[in-house]
Amino acid sequence: MDIRMAGVTKIFEPDIVALEDIYLNLDRGEFVYLVGATGSGKTTLLRIITREVIPSRGQIVVARRNLRSLRASQLPYYRRELGVVFQDYKLLPHLSVLENVAFVLETIGAPSRVVKDRASTVIDQVGLWRLRDHYPQQLSGGEQQRVAIARAMVNSPSIFLADEPTGNLDLHTSEEIMQLLLSINAAGTTVIVATHDQYLVDAYRQRVVELHQGRIKRDEERGRYFVDGEL
Amino acid sequence: MASFRYALRDTFRLIFRHWGLSILTLITAVALFFLLGSSGLFSLNLKSLVADVEDDLVINVFMKAGEDASSLVEAMQDVGFITDLKVISPEKGLELLRAKLGNQAKAVTLLGENPLPWNVQIQVMKADFVTPLVRDLMSFPSVEEVVYAGQLAEKLAQASLVMNRVSIAVLILAITITALVLYNTVKIAIYSKRGEIEVMLLVGATNTSIALPFVLQGMLLSTFGALISVILLAGAYQYVSVMLETTLSFLILIADRLLLMRFYLILIGTGMTLGWLCSWFAVHRYIAEASCPE
Repeated sequence: MDIRMAGVTKIFEPDIVALEDIYLNLDRGEFVYLVGATGSGKTTLLRIITREVIPSRGQIVVARRNLRSLRASQLPYYRRELGVVFQDYKLLPHLSVLENVAFVLETIGAPSRVVKDRASTVIDQVGLWRLRDHYPQQLSGGEQQRVAIARAMVNSPSIFLADEPTGNLDLHTSEEIMQLLLSINAAGTTVIVATHDQYLVDAYRQRVVELHQGRIKRDEERGRYFVDGEL
Repeated sequence: MASFRYALRDTFRLIFRHWGLSILTLITAVALFFLLGSSGLFSLNLKSLVADVEDDLVINVFMKAGEDASSLVEAMQDVGFITDLKVISPEKGLELLRAKLGNQAKAVTLLGENPLPWNVQIQVMKADFVTPLVRDLMSFPSVEEVVYAGQLAEKLAQASLVMNRVSIAVLILAITITALVLYNTVKIAIYSKRGEIEVMLLVGATNTSIALPFVLQGMLLSTFGALISVILLAGAYQYVSVMLETTLSFLILIADRLLLMRFYLILIGTGMTLGWLCSWFAVHRYIAEASCPE
């Protein structure tokens, strides 16, 4: 089991219940869509996995680590096992595409040859080799999202988290991004995608976990964005 | 090793990204370390001057006519802080006077009989002992007059004490201002890189690797500030030494190279330590807050 949540509840001050009594198990290599309306708790759930947020109650074990009792000194090493694509990409504007991707490896102290080789390989995989020296502001939304994905996968994470990876992208670009995520998953990486993109969820059927007001409303293998008959 | 190389590269990026602020910090550090060093050198020289005066501190006791110094010498035997005691008879005194006057020595013989009284020259360990001793000496019935330069030494000792206090005040002030300037420079650098720090924290950078470029930035600016101030200070000191030698030759500044070198090294070390402490505090606080989970 890669991720195990038992009774996870998060209450933000003063009394905003973001998640309530979440029980969720994910096996290694699974692909899961987190769906639900804005404010349903998708991002909070991802942030609990990255340990930016600590649950108010309940247990969460990720990659055999109990996140509630994880020591601060161990946190960086835990996060190296995760690849995260943020909703707003969080690319560094003063760094080129290559530098943005290499940045992750440099941050964890990888030797310069490894940094160069690995970053180049990943940029090539996401199809941005010709744009490697461009800066984020010179790229389209889809290209920026690819850089964000390349950055998240450069460290060969065992768990890949993506928060709205196709938000604001056109259909064609969204499909390209989805293909990338599927290829990452095909390599054995657990992928969790929080999304509003009904088309993608329905087109690329995978496990669907729907959140509603902080609770799991449904958890279906090869589910659809809406429950049949809902629309 | 690779991490340190990246940190060093990022340090220079930080310095050059905010080059205006870096120059301002450097100038401030130079000015403040110069002030710090000047006050330290002044204090050192004043101390040395007081010590020199104390070394030359001689109390001249002149006996009344017809009185010899034997009772006085006997009384002074048990005084512990007396380092030297010389008894000069009137004959010896006349001899010394003749030697001192040189060509005009004949004037002394014109006086006929020897007019000089018995003279006792007393040296003490410290200027502080002079006044009580003089009081004791004056109470001897056989003593006519006591002449001493003790007041000068006492005043110098007092001035030295005041200067030491001023130096400490200058030291605290200069260190506080330098620390604040460095702290703010590093804070601004951190603020400008907050997005980067956020990503670094999320991709698994350790607190040390995030902090290192900022700490090095603070240390480099402060150390270079201290280094430049030492170069300026050494030049100015040399210039003032030469100038005093030609104009006020009795004022000799400390020329002990080893002592001066040690002083300059301490100043550079202070710069380095101060830079390290300020930047470490600034960055440590920020990272602790940024990495704290909600």
